Amino acid sequence: MFLPLRSLLKREYLRWVRAPTWIVAGLLSPILYLLLFGQAFDLGKLVPPVPAAQTGLTAALLGAPNYFSYFAVGMVGLVAVTSALFAGTGVIFDKQLGILQRTIATPVRRSTIFLSSLIFRGLLVVLPIFIVLGLALGFAQIPGLAGLTVTQTIGATGIVEVLVAIFVLAIAFTSLFLAFGFLFARVESYFAVVNLLNLPILFTSNALYPYGTSPQWIQNITAYNPISLAVDVMRENFFGSTYYAHPAYVYLGGLVVWAAALGVMALLLASRALRTK
Amino acid sequence: MGSAEAIRTENLAKTFPGGVEAVRDVSLAVQEGEIYGFLGPNGAGKTTTVSMLTTLVRPTRGRAMVAGLDVVQSPREVRQEIGLVFQDSTADGELTGRENMELAGGLFGMNRSECRPRIEELLTRMDLVDAADRRVKGYSGGMKRRLELAVAMVHTPKILFLDEPTIGLDPQGRAGFWRYISQLRREQKVTIFMTTHYLDEVENLCDRIAIIDHGDIIATGTSDSLKERVGGDVVELRVPATSPDLTTTLGAVPGVREVSRDGAVYQVRCPRAEGIVSPLVRACDAQGVTIEGVTVQRPSLDRVFLALTGKAYREEGYDDGRAAQASAFGGRARRGR
Ligand SMILES: Nc1ncnc2c1ncn2[C@@H]1O[C@H](COP(=O)(O)OP(=O)(O)O)[C@@H](O)[C@H]1O
Ligand SMILES: [Mg+2]
Repeated sequence: MFLPLRSLLKREYLRWVRAPTWIVAGLLSPILYLLLFGQAFDLGKLVPPVPAAQTGLTAALLGAPNYFSYFAVGMVGLVAVTSALFAGTGVIFDKQLGILQRTIATPVRRSTIFLSSLIFRGLLVVLPIFIVLGLALGFAQIPGLAGLTVTQTIGATGIVEVLVAIFVLAIAFTSLFLAFGFLFARVESYFAVVNLLNLPILFTSNALYPYGTSPQWIQNITAYNPISLAVDVMRENFFGSTYYAHPAYVYLGGLVVWAAALGVMALLLASRALRTK
Repeated sequence: MGSAEAIRTENLAKTFPGGVEAVRDVSLAVQEGEIYGFLGPNGAGKTTTVSMLTTLVRPTRGRAMVAGLDVVQSPREVRQEIGLVFQDSTADGELTGRENMELAGGLFGMNRSECRPRIEELLTRMDLVDAADRRVKGYSGGMKRRLELAVAMVHTPKILFLDEPTIGLDPQGRAGFWRYISQLRREQKVTIFMTTHYLDEVENLCDRIAIIDHGDIIATGTSDSLKERVGGDVVELRVPATSPDLTTTLGAVPGVREVSRDGAVYQVRCPRAEGIVSPLVRACDAQGVTIEGVTVQRPSLDRVFLALTGKAYREEGYDDGRAAQASAFGGRARRGR
């Protein structure tokens, strides 16, 4: 299994490094979000500088010291979705060009084909996430720029929880969009569905703005949104547990359930697409 | 040539969901080391047959053994033993020729040191050494076809399946491709099963042929034996206009089936022209007639096809065949970029 998997990953990698526009655009867009939206919009400015109002703001931001810190962590969720959006396109092109068929005609296991896509596409999701987090932390060191300020000392467990949350979130969304790649024959149908899902997923999460003001039914969805769960794991570790009902690992557990469910769904659709007709 | 069977099918059939009977009844046997031609017009069921033999499509009925293995029981083992060249180019255009071959080797579980010498050898054989490190999207049609062959051969398969390998090539490119195939068979001792809808291709290249039409095998044999079935060769003799009638004389020569006369030209039908021309000439000499000219006409597979199916053979519209191949995988056919 190892040699075929390595070969498939190498092919993905070669295709990736040979499309520089793609790489630059993919990595640049999260940076632009941080620079433009993150710097331009400060929710905190809308709140009067009186102590009672400021306490309310901190509660709404779930302990984050400022809106940028809150938003920067949410960006992890946004970047996870927007980078994973393309995860299924490779499979569709491989179908259309007969490359998938050629691969199926070799003794490679179907699960290896799926795994290679999941691993490579997953890494393409994780990479910009780390860039965003790194940049946001770096901004805090630059005077005049809003940055991500971590108010807690994070222990080894915290770091592991945050890293696992990032990887599991990447697996969840990569699986979701990969599943559509195996399902659809045409890029048009793929993007129709992906675009339909994209915004509801983002806007029912607590990634970009506090959701204390939304109606209860939306809040119920928000609580179980995979982005919210991942972001909760990180925010609780970064800004303290005062405003959280559960320890971070509970949210992490929820996220793992999501990733497992989406992963199994993608694997089933992949084996359906790859099986002998 | 070995004597073992590389491929055997028994009443192989495939009905696609929706009721299309793409293959109705295909029984054939291919010996090791042969080049076997699978000839038929578009939509006859060639690609579907190849897809079943290569484990990509599951037969509805019947059995197929490839390299001694049942394609339904042991698909992975079968895949290990076969190489496949599809109707459409399937190399990754963003990768170089060599990278495509390395990928193929890796998929068959070969490590670098196993791959390397094999890849160099095949690149040399296929005249791709100079192009090996260029991206495939810049290759010409003929180079792409040769690369497909090289990619299919990396793991030293026992049997090579070629599905309309020369489609889209000009006559020169096709002739060149045949040379590479003959060379492969000679040097690599590989059995070749190729589909085509070009008559000249099977005549020039294949040891034996099966003709498929509407999903049924309508004839199998060597190209010569098939021609014999539609009346064999015709020897045309031209004699001086003043000669006496020779119809009975020529008809008496052993092996002659039928003689017809058109002025000073006689048409003599016989199973095979070899060995019959000099007796004919001698028979004329005995009558004091000097022959002015001799030509031998072999029937074309065109005529074979006409005789067997009652239809003229057409070579047109290959696009529907391509669409069908891709649709088996939920994809749409797309012509090379
Ligand atoms: N996946 C499929 N689903 C339905 N019909 C198919 C499929 N593949 C091929 N066919 C039909 O089966 C018949 C034989 O097709 P094919 O084997 O591709 O012929 P050939 O390769 O000889 O041109 C055609 O009528 C074709 O339309
Ligand atoms: Mg075909």
